[in-house]
Amino acid sequence: MQADELAYYPFISEASTHVENLGISLDSLLNSRAYRAARVRGIERVKEALEGEIRKPPVSGEAQILSELLSYPFARMLVACVDDQLFTRRYALAEAKAAYTLLRNENPAFLLKIGEDFGISADFKTSYFNMHFTDYIRFSNSLKDPAWKLTNRQFRAGEVKITREEFARLLEEAVREHIEQSFPIPEIPAEVTSFCAPYVAEIKDQFEIQKKKFGATDFGTVEPELFPPCISHALANAQGGVNLAHSMRFAMTSFLLSVGMSVDEILNLFNISPDFDAEKTLYQIEHIAGATGNVYKPPACDTMRTYGNCVGKDRLCEKINHPLAYYEKKIYLKNREREKEEEKETEKKKEAGKEEKKKSGKEKEKES
Amino acid sequence: MDSRTARFLKTRFQNYYKNAEIGLPDHLPNREWAFIFYDDMPDKMMHRHKAFGSPGEAFDYLYGMAPAHVYNSTAYYEYPDARKMNEKNWLGAELIFDLDADHLPNAPRNYADMLELVKKETFKLMDFLLDDFGFSEQEIELVFSGGRGYHFHIMSPKVLALGSAERREIVNYISGKDLDFKYFFREVAMDGEFGAGSKTFKGMKSVPVKCTLVGYDSGWGKRIALYLTDYMKAECRKKYKKDMFPELRRYEKVGDTTIKKLINLTNSENGLSDILKKGRLDFDVRNFKDIAAYFMKESVEDFLQRFGASVDEPVTADIKRLIRVPGSLHGGSGMLVKKLALSELEKFEPLNDAVIFGERPVKVTVSKPFSVQLKGRDLTVEEGKQEVPEYAAIYLICRGVAEYGHRRNQPGSI
Repeated sequence: MQADELAYYPFISEASTHVENLGISLDSLLNSRAYRAARVRGIERVKEALEGEIRKPPVSGEAQILSELLSYPFARMLVACVDDQLFTRRYALAEAKAAYTLLRNENPAFLLKIGEDFGISADFKTSYFNMHFTDYIRFSNSLKDPAWKLTNRQFRAGEVKITREEFARLLEEAVREHIEQSFPIPEIPAEVTSFCAPYVAEIKDQFEIQKKKFGATDFGTVEPELFPPCISHALANAQGGVNLAHSMRFAMTSFLLSVGMSVDEILNLFNISPDFDAEKTLYQIEHIAGATGNVYKPPACDTMRTYGNCVGKDRLCEKINHPLAYYEKKIYLKNREREKEEEKETEKKKEAGKEEKKKSGKEKEKES
Repeated sequence: MDSRTARFLKTRFQNYYKNAEIGLPDHLPNREWAFIFYDDMPDKMMHRHKAFGSPGEAFDYLYGMAPAHVYNSTAYYEYPDARKMNEKNWLGAELIFDLDADHLPNAPRNYADMLELVKKETFKLMDFLLDDFGFSEQEIELVFSGGRGYHFHIMSPKVLALGSAERREIVNYISGKDLDFKYFFREVAMDGEFGAGSKTFKGMKSVPVKCTLVGYDSGWGKRIALYLTDYMKAECRKKYKKDMFPELRRYEKVGDTTIKKLINLTNSENGLSDILKKGRLDFDVRNFKDIAAYFMKESVEDFLQRFGASVDEPVTADIKRLIRVPGSLHGGSGMLVKKLALSELEKFEPLNDAVIFGERPVKVTVSKPFSVQLKGRDLTVEEGKQEVPEYAAIYLICRGVAEYGHRRNQPGSI
């Protein structure tokens, strides 16, 4: 592959081998003036990822190509130092989307070559591709449109027929998964950590602000009225003294733990169950909570349906595939609502006159 | 089951395991094994996290312990005998399918009929595995479970790394879940790329389009073509025209003229073969594509009943499943967990071919009346002291309706 191509697709193995062969030391990547542009672009990459989209303008000339290429490993260092799973996912998604934008316009041979790097076996047949179904479902599984369902595809002898555009889209998923799984980086050298610290702090601050907007995963106070239908149903049953199926009990308990309820609080919920056995229940809850070293995540919607624990979708359910995502989304919507309210409030206050403002100003002065 | 009965079964099983041909899994040292023993009865305690380094070890163990139930993991592990699942280090897993009468809607209660129904389902699944998924016969291992169904094991290297979600997608495909006919009945531009769907081409405003059944020659598309043409054929075989296509008459786009044209199409020389072999849907019949889509949508339940195979979804989705070992005995029936070549399935009679014990008379005390067909014989036993052939005695005991020997007082059932 050409150097500029490697710069556009820096996550493929050929690109990382190429970077290795350049023999640039960590120290010089961090400190040398020669790589300043690479570092600047690296920071830009991460910040653009925060906004949602990494732009990849055309690069030309050896220097620019090298900067673009090296900006990727540097950006990865930053992401590794931020060390936040949610942020890593955001970054991987942004890199993948940027890759898709470029891949859409690449020729079939090139797509096949990139595909090979992700272990995809496929063939190009004059106007379409054949992709082995194992590779196809590996990457189409995360796509929600029913057009991606294997059932709705042309499928013969293990091969799924797909268009060029679809191939590029599946590669986006492959890139996302590849980048996501390359984190966390086990041992980050101390010099990297200290070098990145100021940028990391800034990124974290920005991300916190965004997270608040988006509802985030750190749920704060538990708000049972925002639970998805399946969990609400199970809760109502547990509290009404109805026995829950083991799989539902597990789903509910792991869900409640994930949204921040304590083992004791959950134990109280089960207290009313007809076959309540405090010690056994405590053991089960603690087991799910991770006392034995395994932390169990609540099952996804698919699994809930498999075991018959889905009580039926509401409108929000259509948009998510995990009970926790439902809760996150609800919190986000509620927070947005509250923000709007608050904005209205402040508007009102402004209008209410300057008297109060002056007062509070004085009080603040006193405090300081 | 009382201890004397358990001892009896254990000796009989032991006798079998002395010379049994066990279908050991590939990569034996990477498999976890699990057992339920007669010594623990009536508690069904599962002993797991066992591993064997060599075939001899496994055979010796089976003969020595003569377990009631024998399982191994569909998964390959680095440390199959580690006590905790996350310490085993999962390396991959066979793709498995479990077809069980328990999961079939309206399964008959009679054992023989039940098995016959599952067999039909098994053929449907086989069709998917060979044609759609393209596995070769050598890659598919078919096993009669010794109970109420069949297991398929697929060990082709491409499938071993598949995760739960991907395996679930495979089950969805086989059952036809999420099937949406709009992806099959489509208008396609006569020229241009596959799937482009563009109606402007090289400056021309409207490119000629044809209505097609996309993918008519493979997968679900092929099944749709078959279902649709079968329906048309069946309707046109009716005696009176007024009785034909009642389902379609309910559709607002279908009037008498359309029905007449449909009949002509069905009876014409190439009508149906154009659908089956070319996927063509643009005939003299106006809106044929929409009519066909309407019909399929209305009959989707019957369609999926005919072509979809219902496999046990959680089993396939579980990448750390324990499954019965071919060549072992099923402790709940005393029957053989039997490996079959795909070509043997047609003639396979579980209630004859998987019954391995002999004819020697055995005294049993039956706790409730029971009837079953075994070895081609209708066997009906009444409550109380009985003498039956050994194979029947073992079956009755394993099913929990009899104890070994003649008892003065009837034992409590288990």
